[in-house]
Amino acid sequence: MVTASIGLREAGRTFGATTALAGVDLDLGPGVTGLLGPNGAGKTTLLRLLATALPPTQGQVRVLGLDPEVPAERTGIRRQLGYLPQEIGFPRGFTAFAFVDYIALLKEWAEPAARHAEVRRVLDLVGLSDLGAKRIRAMSGGQRRRVALAQALLGSPTVLILDEPTTGVDPEQRVTLRIVLAEIARTSVVVLSTHQTEDVAALCERVIVLDRGRVRYDGAVTDLTGRAAGRVWLADEPDPAASVSWRTGTGRYRNVGARVRDGVEHVEPSLEDAYLLLRGGAAEHEPAGEVAS
Amino acid sequence: MTATLAPARPEATAGRATLAALAARETRRFIVNPVFLFAVAITAWTIWAGRDPAVTDIDTVSSYPAIFLGGFGMMATFWLTRSMRASEPVVGVAPVTLPARTAALCAVAIVPLACGGLALLGFLHFHPVSGPAYGPFSMSARIAVLAGQIMVPALGGPLLGIALGRWVRFPGAAFMLFLILYGWVTLVTILSLWHQDSAPVAVLRLFAPFAFFTTTAGNTADVTAWRGSPWFFIGWQLALCAIAVLVALLRGAEGRVRLRIIRALAIGLMLALILFVLAATGGFPHAVTA
Repeated sequence: MVTASIGLREAGRTFGATTALAGVDLDLGPGVTGLLGPNGAGKTTLLRLLATALPPTQGQVRVLGLDPEVPAERTGIRRQLGYLPQEIGFPRGFTAFAFVDYIALLKEWAEPAARHAEVRRVLDLVGLSDLGAKRIRAMSGGQRRRVALAQALLGSPTVLILDEPTTGVDPEQRVTLRIVLAEIARTSVVVLSTHQTEDVAALCERVIVLDRGRVRYDGAVTDLTGRAAGRVWLADEPDPAASVSWRTGTGRYRNVGARVRDGVEHVEPSLEDAYLLLRGGAAEHEPAGEVAS
Repeated sequence: MTATLAPARPEATAGRATLAALAARETRRFIVNPVFLFAVAITAWTIWAGRDPAVTDIDTVSSYPAIFLGGFGMMATFWLTRSMRASEPVVGVAPVTLPARTAALCAVAIVPLACGGLALLGFLHFHPVSGPAYGPFSMSARIAVLAGQIMVPALGGPLLGIALGRWVRFPGAAFMLFLILYGWVTLVTILSLWHQDSAPVAVLRLFAPFAFFTTTAGNTADVTAWRGSPWFFIGWQLALCAIAVLVALLRGAEGRVRLRIIRALAIGLMLALILFVLAATGGFPHAVTA
């Protein structure tokens, strides 16, 4: 059995004079990997490279050992790929079932009975089994997102690339999605980009933080969270020493920063705290660690 | 949540089975397109309404199928081709390539072609080729004139719409092209009425995907046949159809497939040129009135 894998070597992508991704080296295996980063960090570009939607302008990308720049190999990748783009439009007049069924046809499910059964299965996975006959244009944003997600799950792909899968999805469905993805990730490579750090914390074993097209952090989620230990504290007022502070629901201020004064009330850090700390440049003061240059 | 997560994917049945299934799907989508349905209805009505056996000018009736099945068919396939554009981020990474999807779309043109065939049969039923309205053309040439005016545009228009949809982003492109072609055919027909024996005018008249071959202008009793070979004109039209298909297929084609398409396109263009020259130089050497 071939282990599902993705490899990038000095992979980069430019758009004119803009560098979206600069010399990224990554190896990804089965499991869920989360991609975090601010807007414009290169997350979507990286996912598009992995999804064969975009060729790199430098370096190499290998998905399941195949080269996406070779047409026949690219088709081979696409046969085992599920991709949810950040933005997707739907053709006018299509129902959820008809759209997913159309994509299933494009994924070479030519036999109608098997295809229809698969479409029903993935619609059920995303909680849309009752809404298959509903026109997509009449659906809410969250329901449309789930239709888009359903097509990505067709055929239980070996490589699943998800760009902000939980945008607009209600909490209950997000939990359902986590269960589904965790199951798929037993044998498949799942890469998801999100701004929801709680999704990454709940689902991913590994997190990659991108910033300005470069890998800023690559490691275990628990390790990144652990880096914020002792650097998150509560106070009655915003602490000028903190990199970031905000008023919480209790009326107290949550402060995150590298420079911590003595005697403050420390709290358990979250992945979001660690991410903010990393973004705030605090991690640069670390003597050693997994922060990439 | 009751669904299982067990992989249900069978062996991918690539190739012809997928293409056939996709072509059938696109055909179903095309058949229910309101523009195409309107085109079919209005074509049927115009043929029925023009059934007067005393008609002395076939052109007034024979051009409607070209306008509706061809012109409106072009707009319908243009829409069909562009309809998945919003979903391109997903559709574009499916294993079925863009040229394969285009090929499936091209198969849709069988429907308007069949409608054109039925329109031709209906027309022949109401206006038998033995009638005087066809002028001095031979029986076979009369069939060629009608096939070139009714059936082939019903095929060519939709194929042109697919090519346009693959290459042009402007949403009103098909309608614009329809107006341009309609305007061009009208212009060269008017020129032909003024200069019936002119070879350059005949060349201009035939340099179109649709052309008139007869007129009764100025004299309702006699029919004048214009210069040009109806049979070779059909050949020119079919070459244009092939070019439209190849241009559509070229979009997204890579490697050896792309080279083959480009080679076929070069052959198609040469063939079209030869057939056009034959159409313009063949047939009656000057206008003939019967």
